Amino acid sequence: MSRTSTLQAPAAGPLEGVTATINAAAVERLAAGEPDWLAQRRWRAWEAYERTPLPTTRLEEWRYTDLSRTLDLDALRPAAPGPRGLSPDAWPAELRQAMREDWDAAGHIVEIDGRVVHTDLLPELAAQGVVLASLTDAVHTHEDLLREHLAVEAIPPDQGKFSALNAALWTDGAVLFVPRNVTLPLPVRITRWVSDPAAAYFTRTLVVGEGGSTLSVVEECLSPSFGEQTFCLSATEVLADDNSATHYASLQRMGLGVFHMALYRSLVGRDARTDSLHVTLGASTARLDLNSELGAPGAHSHILGLYFGNEDQHFDHCTSQNHAAPHATSDLLYKGALDDASGSVFRGIIRVAPGAQRTDAYQTNRNLLLSEEASAHALPNLEIEADDVRCSHGATVGQLEEEALFYLQSRGLSRRRAERLVVRGFLQDVLRRRPPGGVTEKVTRAIEEKLRG
Amino acid sequence: MSDAPILRTAGLRARVTEEEMEILKGVDLAIRPGEIHAIMGPNGSGKSTLAKVLAGHPGYEVTGGSAFFDGQDLLELETDERARAGVFMAFQYPVAIPGVSIANFLRTALQARLEDGEELDLFDFQDILLERMELLEMSPSFAERAVNDGFSGGEKKRNEILQMAVLEPSLAIMDETDSGLDIDALKVVARGVNTLQEERPAMAVLLITHYQRLLNYIEPDFVHVIVDGRIVLSGGPEVALSLEEGGYHEHRKLQSTVSAA
Ligand SMILES: Nc1ncnc2c1ncn2[C@@H]1O[C@H](COP(=O)(O)OP(=O)(O)OP(=O)(O)O)[C@@H](O)[C@H]1O
Ligand SMILES: [Mg+2]
Repeated sequence: MSRTSTLQAPAAGPLEGVTATINAAAVERLAAGEPDWLAQRRWRAWEAYERTPLPTTRLEEWRYTDLSRTLDLDALRPAAPGPRGLSPDAWPAELRQAMREDWDAAGHIVEIDGRVVHTDLLPELAAQGVVLASLTDAVHTHEDLLREHLAVEAIPPDQGKFSALNAALWTDGAVLFVPRNVTLPLPVRITRWVSDPAAAYFTRTLVVGEGGSTLSVVEECLSPSFGEQTFCLSATEVLADDNSATHYASLQRMGLGVFHMALYRSLVGRDARTDSLHVTLGASTARLDLNSELGAPGAHSHILGLYFGNEDQHFDHCTSQNHAAPHATSDLLYKGALDDASGSVFRGIIRVAPGAQRTDAYQTNRNLLLSEEASAHALPNLEIEADDVRCSHGATVGQLEEEALFYLQSRGLSRRRAERLVVRGFLQDVLRRRPPGGVTEKVTRAIEEKLRG
Repeated sequence: MSDAPILRTAGLRARVTEEEMEILKGVDLAIRPGEIHAIMGPNGSGKSTLAKVLAGHPGYEVTGGSAFFDGQDLLELETDERARAGVFMAFQYPVAIPGVSIANFLRTALQARLEDGEELDLFDFQDILLERMELLEMSPSFAERAVNDGFSGGEKKRNEILQMAVLEPSLAIMDETDSGLDIDALKVVARGVNTLQEERPAMAVLLITHYQRLLNYIEPDFVHVIVDGRIVLSGGPEVALSLEEGGYHEHRKLQSTVSAA
């Protein structure tokens, strides 16, 4: 289906972000052969993309990340998709290593260069109705599931320029569906690798946990470092139905030269509980828009974030905890350490709608600066329209304490070791709030690697 | 006991880095292996400053005099080098290191003592740690707590002695380890120190305290009284007893006549 059959031509004038790679022809190619509803969804998203200007630093949410300087959409090339069914022996060594470190899983999705190349799921889970599939397969095998949920509920294309871009141009991704009252015994691991310099990657993840289900997902993305800017835009939608429990972790370990933008949004149902951990270690520029929507009484969202920057990495985290219903709780803790000339932004908001009485919502951001040139902006915020609530927010930006370093040095640790131990402890404080095992250890190892430099 | 002091300071003077006023105004001390020296003195007289200067605190600078440890010029060594050479200071106010467990901390400290490429045997370490914790009547789960984070005053002091017991220094400086301890904890700490010295009779101890109470359990060979940055009186255990009765009053007067002269 082509755009002319569904929509009128867009208004004349320069269209921001429409390039030799990002354009209607690209939508056309992706939509070809897709069911009508999906092609329409892409075109509607494309329309929204064209209509929406690129965010500038005049917008609060983008004040500290100037896209006109940090993201060159014009220079991006289309990604050459990874070959389907590539055997694991042919995977890049870094990817194999990352997979080996935690092979134990309920299932895997491996995506190379914007294309899922491997899917597996424990047979007993498949027999219980669990679905784990690439999006491109699911379009055919689980059309109704995507039609009902993909890019309509959690991250529709009207949530800003980049939500529209992803919804228009996604090439592949993962869908996990866990039926009513089914429990996943192990996490599902989604691992993404990109290797094509100067390419643009758009992928998505859709997680649907039906009522009473329990599930865990780990998304990890990695890449080599690139000399030319490479752009990755991902969108993760988590739909947690009544009384479900969802554990989610993302580990971003991209190489330098990458502009990594991640949209994450969870819709938390009645008495449902979502726990998420968001780890930002890689990429030259990383932007995360993280939103938890507490839409029903008893919903609970527990959010942990961790970042560790060095060289001239720039991390921008924009979070919101939206309380739309009474008796819901949310708790966010974000901690980051910044070395060399790296910088971070944390902008967090707790919104409590009128009528969302008895809300309990907390938000904390702590930063540790390890060098004179490092910087951190911490901007916590509250927007409360109900009167019977308990909310608090706090943020700190601190340096290594000389007295603590002296204490450690007086036990024989060199200054460098002492510093590393303090940083490790500072970040570890986030991880110890998670159950041990699995991703926690992997994150610890990744931090250790970065600490060793 | 051998004759060569493990620590000898002569005319040691120090001030807070870049401040005008001297805090230590010439301290002479000679501590031989195996000896226990107590330092007493009024608040603000410079006891902690002396301890920190010996440990190499960067906030103080030595303005005169010398300090030799085990034949090396102590003042030439970095803080961590002093520690690895065998100097240990139990802090008057131990510092919290959030997120770092005691076990991890001590493992790192022991590892730092090994040559590059040498790996600490983790089973040996575990054994040593458990044995030392038992000596100090600490529950093994304590090792998993973050260093001094949310510890009670007594737990902090006990943790200092645990570190000392694991790191086995040849000179242990204990800055008011007794303050904040109840009598039972005091006995446990004293027994710990005494046991360590029985195991390693050459370990020298410099005890900073305000109270005779501690000295009943750890008997000093020498007692020094420091007033306004100078040792104004040195003697045997009887000095502490006389202070207990008369306070520092007499010695302050002595000090003012010294300064006036
Ligand atoms: N870092 C510092 N900055 C400013 N003044 C200091 C500093 N350290 C020590 N002093 C001053 O030096 C003097 C000696 O302090 P010190 O802590 O050594 O005393 P002390 O004998 O240990 O006392 P207390 O018995 O109370 O522990 C005090 O007047 C103190 O205020
Ligand atoms: Mg003192």
